[in-house]
Amino acid sequence: MTTSTAAILQIKHVSKFFGGLAANSDVSFDVPLGSIMGLIGPNGAGKTTLFNCITGYYPPSKGQVLFKGVAMNGLQPDAVCRLGMARTWQKVRPLAKMTVLDNVMVGGLCRTHSLKVAREVAHEQLRVVRLDHKAGFLAGGLPIGERKKLEVARVLATRPEILLLDEVMGGLNTAESEEIILLILELKKLGLTQVVIEHDMKAIMRLSDRIVVLNSGEKLAEGAPREVAENPDVITAYLGEAVHA
Amino acid sequence: MPSLLRRTARGFSLPAFLAYLAVILLVALVPLVTRKPLILHMWIMVFLAIAQGAAWNVIGGYAGQYSVGHAAYFGIGAYTTMMLLELHQIAPWYGIGLAIANAVLLSVVIGSITFRLRGPYFVLASIAMAEIIRLATLHFKDFTRGAEGILLNGIPPLETPWFTVDFVGKRPFFYASLGLAVLVISVNWFVQHTKLGYYFQAIREDQDAAHSLGINLTLHKNLALGISAAFTAWAGGLFALYVRFIDPNIVFGIDVSVQVVLICIIGGIGTILGPVVGSVVLVLLAESLRNPKWLVQTGLASSDSSTIAFIEAHLSNAHVLFYGILVVAVVLFAPDGLLGLLRTGVARLKKQRAAEPRPAA
Repeated sequence: MTTSTAAILQIKHVSKFFGGLAANSDVSFDVPLGSIMGLIGPNGAGKTTLFNCITGYYPPSKGQVLFKGVAMNGLQPDAVCRLGMARTWQKVRPLAKMTVLDNVMVGGLCRTHSLKVAREVAHEQLRVVRLDHKAGFLAGGLPIGERKKLEVARVLATRPEILLLDEVMGGLNTAESEEIILLILELKKLGLTQVVIEHDMKAIMRLSDRIVVLNSGEKLAEGAPREVAENPDVITAYLGEAVHA
Repeated sequence: MPSLLRRTARGFSLPAFLAYLAVILLVALVPLVTRKPLILHMWIMVFLAIAQGAAWNVIGGYAGQYSVGHAAYFGIGAYTTMMLLELHQIAPWYGIGLAIANAVLLSVVIGSITFRLRGPYFVLASIAMAEIIRLATLHFKDFTRGAEGILLNGIPPLETPWFTVDFVGKRPFFYASLGLAVLVISVNWFVQHTKLGYYFQAIREDQDAAHSLGINLTLHKNLALGISAAFTAWAGGLFALYVRFIDPNIVFGIDVSVQVVLICIIGGIGTILGPVVGSVVLVLLAESLRNPKWLVQTGLASSDSSTIAFIEAHLSNAHVLFYGILVVAVVLFAPDGLLGLLRTGVARLKKQRAAEPRPAA
């Protein structure tokens, strides 16, 4: 690491097996405080599985996840969230029959018992993602772009120190993606560390301070965006091997 | 419309609260107006159904865990109260307290087993749990008197420094069951207006999302079930004292579990007024079929009416059939229950009124 900032999140030799299949094998990297780490890889590379291992949905089969220097093995997702690590879902999970405001309040209640405080926090976060005009709408009725924003507002309301975003731009149009990119950069300015899974290479190049590439569950490369983009292994993984006639 | 119709009500509304108080007071006056036992009986059955429905609403409506095994808690409440009173001479006001404690304990055991399962598997497991307890009650005759049941000989008078209550006639049970119904409805309101309610509803909507937002699933599901079990047992104890005879099939039977769920489905799941509406509809229906005489007593039908005779001759056990028809109708035409129907009706009226062209000034 060239910078002197401490790593807020350390992934140490994490492996996850489903039966004989290794969804992650021996993945290690550090996420420096306040940075944006891009996580890329072809479909089935094990990106979401890694998120699930980090946030407590699966216990890693091997290895350790250290958050703020403390090992999190065996912690349930709710405990992980209360420690200050929040995640969004690739397939959005709005609480459909609750209003947008109530959705975000559920996140806010992570840090308070008072509905009043949670409501204030929720309004604040809805303004951050520019969804406050939809506060009274049922979450189930939102279009996909706004559902993604709601997802982000809801986890922000839990007051995370690190945010794991699983394809928040998936299924969005260019204008909507641009809004999310600006939002992520804005959050970075506020000092929030983020790990971003994304398929859109342009977006990930623009956002990330560093990028980790996963392929078939293994870490293929790690480095600054430009380094990774020029890495021949990465190009091969994405485009297949060149045919030599 | 008052917030009672909505799933997520917000804030305390004085007019709604005053209206609620007024309704309670009016209902409380009923025994002063009529002394006809069958009419008071109807009210008591409705109150007990409301208490059970509203209790189920906490776990089924708010937390979204469709337990079809609430007969377990109802029966535990009834049996604990009756056994303590008849076999150990412990007065029911202590007995019901112990019944509630028993039910909460049972809910922790049942919860720790069944909450590992989701969706239909949870439903099946909850049914199985209630059946196990029913069969155990039938089997351990030395302890529970088995199929013979327990007959109540008498309830000692409740003496307080200010007054004495003799449990004769329907009146004391009218007020006891009314009080319980009001209490459980208030609990529903409380749940809806606290962090607990938000967490329960988040679990109902999406367990994984709730988990990732810092909600301890096991703890909150068990809390919801515990609250629900406590008041269901209370209703069970009161029911036993009122009808004075229980056996395993009466209080642990699957129809007890099903009826509670139907009350909520028909009225409107996860709303405060839903169980009230559902109880009125279901209890009136069931009791009218079982014992149509009350219609004569209220003057709704004459004593020689052919309808009454027909019901008595052919439909006295048909209430379960009508439950079935009602459920089909509700699922087809009003998936959010009668309250949902009302809610959409009101919304449509409002829209129409807004769409009407205003007369030119």
